[in-house]
This record gives sequence, C-alpha cells and structure tokens, in this order.
Amino acid sequence: MPGVRYYDIRHVQGQVTHIDIDNGVCESAASSFFDHAVIRALSRQGWGILTVDDFQEVRRNEIGSLVDRAASIAAICEEDISLSQPVRGSHEVPRMAEDPRDVSLAEKAGILLELERSARIPGIQNTRINYIERFEKTRFCDSTGYENEFETCRSGFGVLVVAARNGTLQMGYERRHTIRGLNIRHQQELARSAAERAILLLDARPARGGTMRAVLDPELAGVFAHEAVGHASEADLVQEGSSVLAGKIGERIGTAAVTIVDDPSLPEFGFEPFDAEGSATGRTEIIRQGILSNYLHSRETLAAVGNGQAGHARAAAGEPPLVRMSNTYFEAGESTREEILAECRHGILLKGSRGGQVDPGRGVFQFNAEYGYLIEDGDCTTMVRDVSLSGEILKTLFSICLCGNEVKMHQGFCGKGGQSVPVSDGAPYLLLDGAVVGGSGDS
Amino acid sequence: MEILDDVLRTGSRSADEIEVYLVEGQSVSAELKREVVSRSIESRHVSLSIRTISGGKIGTSSTSNPADWQRCLEAALASGRLATPQAWNGLPEPQSLGGPDLSYDPAVRPGPVAVQGMLEAMVEGAMCHPVQVTSGGATMSTGTVAIANSHGTWYSRNQSLVSASLETIRKNSTGYEFETSCSPDFDPASIGDRAGFLAASSVNGSDIPTGTYDIVLSPLAAAQLISAVLVPALSGRNVHAGRSRLAGLIGTPVADPAISVYDDPLLPGRPGSTRWDAEATPTRRVPFITDGTLREFAYDLKTAYRHGTESTGSAVRSGSGGLPAIGHHNMVIAGPETALMDEPAIFIQDVVGAHTANPLSGDFSVELTNPFRVKDGTFEAPVRKAMLSGNVFDLLTSVAGLGQDRRNIGSLVLPSIRLNDQHIIGG
Repeated sequence: MPGVRYYDIRHVQGQVTHIDIDNGVCESAASSFFDHAVIRALSRQGWGILTVDDFQEVRRNEIGSLVDRAASIAAICEEDISLSQPVRGSHEVPRMAEDPRDVSLAEKAGILLELERSARIPGIQNTRINYIERFEKTRFCDSTGYENEFETCRSGFGVLVVAARNGTLQMGYERRHTIRGLNIRHQQELARSAAERAILLLDARPARGGTMRAVLDPELAGVFAHEAVGHASEADLVQEGSSVLAGKIGERIGTAAVTIVDDPSLPEFGFEPFDAEGSATGRTEIIRQGILSNYLHSRETLAAVGNGQAGHARAAAGEPPLVRMSNTYFEAGESTREEILAECRHGILLKGSRGGQVDPGRGVFQFNAEYGYLIEDGDCTTMVRDVSLSGEILKTLFSICLCGNEVKMHQGFCGKGGQSVPVSDGAPYLLLDGAVVGGSGDS
Repeated sequence: MEILDDVLRTGSRSADEIEVYLVEGQSVSAELKREVVSRSIESRHVSLSIRTISGGKIGTSSTSNPADWQRCLEAALASGRLATPQAWNGLPEPQSLGGPDLSYDPAVRPGPVAVQGMLEAMVEGAMCHPVQVTSGGATMSTGTVAIANSHGTWYSRNQSLVSASLETIRKNSTGYEFETSCSPDFDPASIGDRAGFLAASSVNGSDIPTGTYDIVLSPLAAAQLISAVLVPALSGRNVHAGRSRLAGLIGTPVADPAISVYDDPLLPGRPGSTRWDAEATPTRRVPFITDGTLREFAYDLKTAYRHGTESTGSAVRSGSGGLPAIGHHNMVIAGPETALMDEPAIFIQDVVGAHTANPLSGDFSVELTNPFRVKDGTFEAPVRKAMLSGNVFDLLTSVAGLGQDRRNIGSLVLPSIRLNDQHIIGG
C-alpha cells in the first residue's frame, strides 16, 4: 500500500423492520437486510474513500487491494491532512429491557393495531402508526491494528392523528424512540393525547408574527440547542469557514444561564459506544455559562482547528464519517415552569416540534412548534397553531433569561451531507426575551 | 440478471404473484473544503427488492446483498402473511414499451478526473466575485434498474446522473447553487458564478418592516414549499386516508386559472423520466391541475385496486425497505411565462425550514435566504433577515405570474413564481 498513511474500515451489517398501520389496516410489516462497508485511505493528498454494498465480511486477504483502490481515488485530492492522536475506549451498550427481536412481527403488529385504535376518538378521521426497529452490528478496524465492534438495536414509533371539521384538517403527532428495547407496550395514553391535541387544534388560531417574549417547552428548546448552536459548533463547518462560531472560542455568546453539551456517551438515542473513527466518545461542553468553550470534532478537525476532543465523527451505515451531534442538551437552571411563565407575563408558550433548519455560515436558524398558547398575565390562554421561531446564533443566546430546573430528552433524526443519524435533543423550559416569532394570524 | 430468474422461479412456488426489482450502479464524487479537493469517493450500490402477493396479502423485503436473495424471499413471504388482505387485480402484464432510455446519456463516464474538472470550473466561476468558497461537491453516476414479475413482464433501463453544487460566503452572507442532469450538459462555472453572486450581493442587507409585500419565489424557494405541502396532498393514498386538503375537490378550482400542474414521466433527459414505473405500470402524463382546476390524483397499484380505480403509473421506490410508494417522476408547474421583476417585489432565492410546514393545512412560516428588493428587472438591494408566513394552498390561488427561468429542482420542473400581498415579518 504505497503512499497510504492511514486506513480504516467500518463495516455495518444489520436488519431493519418497518410496520405501517394506517386506519386499522396493516399496510406493511416487513424486514430488510443491509451490509455496507466504507474503506477510507489517507494518502499524502487527502482522503480516498470506497463504499461497497454487499460487503458481507472484511476478508483480510482482500483488504490490501481495497485500500489501494481507495488510495488511488485520492489522486485528485490536494489537501495535506493531519489526524490527532487516537484516544481509544468504548462504552457498554445499555441493556434492553425487552429485546424487540424476541417479539414476533405478528405480536408487534397486534400491539400497534391496539395502540392505533386507542387514538380513534370522535372527530378523528385518520390514525397512522409507523414502527421502526433497526439492528446494527458495527465492526471497525484500522491500519494501527486497532479493532473494535458493537451491536445496537434502536426502535420506536410515531403516531400521526388527523382531525377534520368542515374541510379543515389538523394533526397531532407523538413519537418515542429508544436504544433500551421494545417501547410500544402501554402507550395508549400517548396515542390518545395526540388525538385530543389534533381536535383542539381545529379551534386554534394561527399565531401572530412579531417580536415578543417566548417560553419554549423542553422538546422545542432541545431543537433550539440543536439548530441554534449544535450545527455551528461542528468543526468541519468551522474549518470550512461556514460557521459564525469560527474564531470565537473563549468569547461570551450568551447569558450565564446558557450551558450546552453534546455527549455521545450518554445512553440516549444518539448513543455511540465509540465513534465512526474508533475514537472514545464523551461529554463536550460547547458553551459553558455563556462562553463558547469547545467545538465538536473528528480526528481530522481536531488536528486542524483545535479546542475540543475527537469522538464526534458519526456515519450512517455505508456512508463516510462526518462531524455530527449525538445527544445535545441545555443544562438545567433553577427556575420552575411556573416561575418562567410568571416572569414571561405576556408572550407566547411554544410546544412540540416539527423540526428546524440552520444556515450556520449566515448564523440564522428557524424551527417550528406544533402548537402553543398565548401567555397573558402569566397564564396560558388561547391556543395557537403553526408558529415558528427564527433567530441569529450570535444574538439569540443573549435573549435567554431563565432556564428551567428539569431537562427532558426527545428523540429524532438529523440530516447533514445526505446522511440521517439518530439524535436526541434536550432542554428544560426556557424563557426568551425578544424572540422573532413567525405566524400569519392576528391572534 | 440470473438472480431475477431464480427469485421468480422459486417465489412462484409459494406466492400467487411475485415481483423483483434490482438497482445496480456506481458513482464517483469529490468534495471541496474551501477551494481544495479534500476527498474523493467511489461507490458501488446494489439493492434487490422482492414483493409477493397471495390472496390479496402483499409481502415485501429488500437486501443490499443480492446473493442473499433466499433470506430476502423468505422475509417477503413472512411479511405477506401479516398483511391485511385487500382487493388485488394483479401485477402488470408485459407490454411493448420500447424506445431509447429517457434518463441516460452514455457520455456520462464516472471518474475522478471528470468530477475534479467540474469542481475546478465551479471554483473559477465563484472567483469572479469577492467571496470565499466554503464547500462543494460533484458526482457522476451510472446504473441500471430492472423489474420483472411472474406474469412475464421484464423491463430494464440505464440511467445516468451528473450533479454539482457549491457554497460560498462573504462576511456573514452565504450563497448556494447547484445543477442536476442526466448529461454533462451544464456549465459548472455558471454554478460557481451564481453561488458567488448570491453571497457577494447579499452583504450589508438592510432590515424591512413587518408588512405586506409582493414577492417572487425563485424556482428553488417555490419547489421547497410545493414539495412540503402540495406533493403529499396529490397522493391518492393521502386523499383516501383523509390526510389531504384536496380530497373531494376534483373538478373544482384550487389554483389560479393560469396554472397547470402535471407529471410528465416521458420528458427526455430528465432524471425522473421513465417509460414504466417502480411496479412496471406503463407511465403516462398525469394532469393533476389543469388551468387551475383539480383533475386527478396519483395512484400506485395497491391504492388504485383498493379504491376501484387504475394506477396512474406513479409508483416510485421511496417506501420503507424498498417498497413502492406513490410519488411522481417530473412534476411540472406550467403556465404563461413572463418577466416577473419589472414591478417592485422582494425576490426570495431560498427558504430555511420549508420541511416544517404543516403538510395538512398548508400553513408555513420560514426564514428567507438571499432576499433582495428588485425593481425594473434588477436586484436593487439585499434584505438582511426576514420571515415569510402563509399557506401553500392559498399561494396557488394567488399566483400573479410565472417567470421565464424554468429549471429542474429535484423531481420538480418549475419557473419563478410571483405572488402579491404576502405577509413578511421583518428582522
């Protein structure tokens, strides 16, 4: 392997099972199989990467030719890349209370049909449940002779409920995903709450846009941490020059109430025993008491940019690693929910999340709440719908006045570079002063 | 292709009908970090999907390892045993669907040097402006798609794809542009030029007060909102499930009379073009909205049989585990095209957060990317930051004009769209 300074191979095999229940009909309940490998070779000019489906297993006598092939692709690269010294280690995968693979597809479909029935209350015209279970066996090896492997099973479900009246449609949505085993039993109350909210939203008014005080519930505040801070702290973006957080380590970018952490070693939905480069994972404080403290790193970006630790390289099966968030959260403050609403006095409470997006170079983000309530004299009053929030990364963290005293994590999937990876976001209730709220109504 | 025969022969012993779908391909791509090529990627893709039907019960499975087709077939049969039985009138019979490949150009030969040349040209184009390139990518791919079923239907086609994109920045203003085609028929330097222009021209934008404005959505901005709301509302499955606001409105006006929306799978040279859909139904033009009036929804076989109608040839392989699902091939937004920016307006190049729109009600509220004040056909001044709120279904009825800049955005083909009296929240 002449000219190859380093190589690694990440091989992911597994099985994914989907069950789709739509208005009482089992539309599909099926399992599929995958077998992907990514071979990376670092030459003097840069990375050459080979991705292969149907890899089956790393056949040791073929590694040389695969690595040579990857290295030959790097001939067009022109970047002198250094890697930080590897820090190895692995966290134990949390035990599952009930392994989904021990429950038959038929039993799971039966549980989901029952769950879906519990959301069918008067006023509801469609109920749909999607279940997914993904078992992965990941093997990693590199040119230093290091090898490691782990197995994970992520599973969960989403309930979408549609309410209708006089041509108006509204939806309620709940989802729960986990790495701790089958989670579909005894969830009727959750499904029913989605249905009740869909019906309530039929009478909710569109929110009035403008600048106001806003209280974010833990789910939405978690998305806020992810969109407003997390992406811009990814050091590949910093290195490219497309993050407004570049060059700001040690600077105050928010109030002292703000501490934001990313921790792939946390046993939540974004858990990684070790990262996609074989690095040990651990807690990185991105912002500590309002001061930008660290970026999220791969070995390459740590060597190039500094400030932080590697262990934040992640990859979808069969895709090259990218610097990614995992479990990202605001640390708790001291205020109760009631104290936050009272301090807000007049404003808007935003709840639930339909996702968000950020332009980290421009430093502008947007995310959307599922619903909310006007806050009048410290009380939640009129329900509003279709309300979003936008802001500027370098200003918005100064608007956080109060942080609640209890962090809750919510699960989702994050897209970057065409790859989707499981993540969790967390936060307590937050009070923002001068939030830019989007809405088309006049409530 | 022997595998297709093996699957059909073995599967036919255990199911009334069987279908097998095989996608194989290779691609070469390269990525920029600033102006420098930092990594090059060669990929080989393969995916085999099997569908079995017995007594109206449909089973599916897929694998990225075709050699493992027997396990995949067993999983599909097991899946079928769990499915709720439904009305089913059979997989498509063979038809003569000859003709050249619609989405393939033999001139596309994936290779590192070819993608390197595209990257260099994009960087050169961007350097016409005082900007920094932050990232970019170029990909060339070729492949084949084959489908066969137990009725003797057997189709295959070649496909090719060339894509390139570039991101730029100047101060805190960003620019992004891209192109995708079946052929190497676009100018990468022009992508760089446009991305550079957007970043350079957006610097020192000023705020605008909250209020009502006439706006022009670029093809990209319009495509983002249409994809989030209108596309799912035209799916026959969503219509019959009660998840579409367009349900029950066939024959009634749902858009400005000047607007038509249709799927044209037979457009030569478009990435989505094909003579047969993802379950071997012959494709045809599907007129969703004609002169503002809703005419038709999209169906695959499963939904069509269930509701006593015919497939519109709209199946695509976007479902879980390689399952066919209702989609479209080349959705075209058409109407008289005129100059849109002679009268004052806010031009919007892109939006942040279109996927957070409410797909049922159509309500959205998005942040604007590269908004400009325009007048007399030129960009007058950048706007720093603003949000646009509204409803996608309402936008369709308030179209004030379509531009002369029609382009391909993903699977949509559309021009800029002018909309008057829209609600913008200033920065």
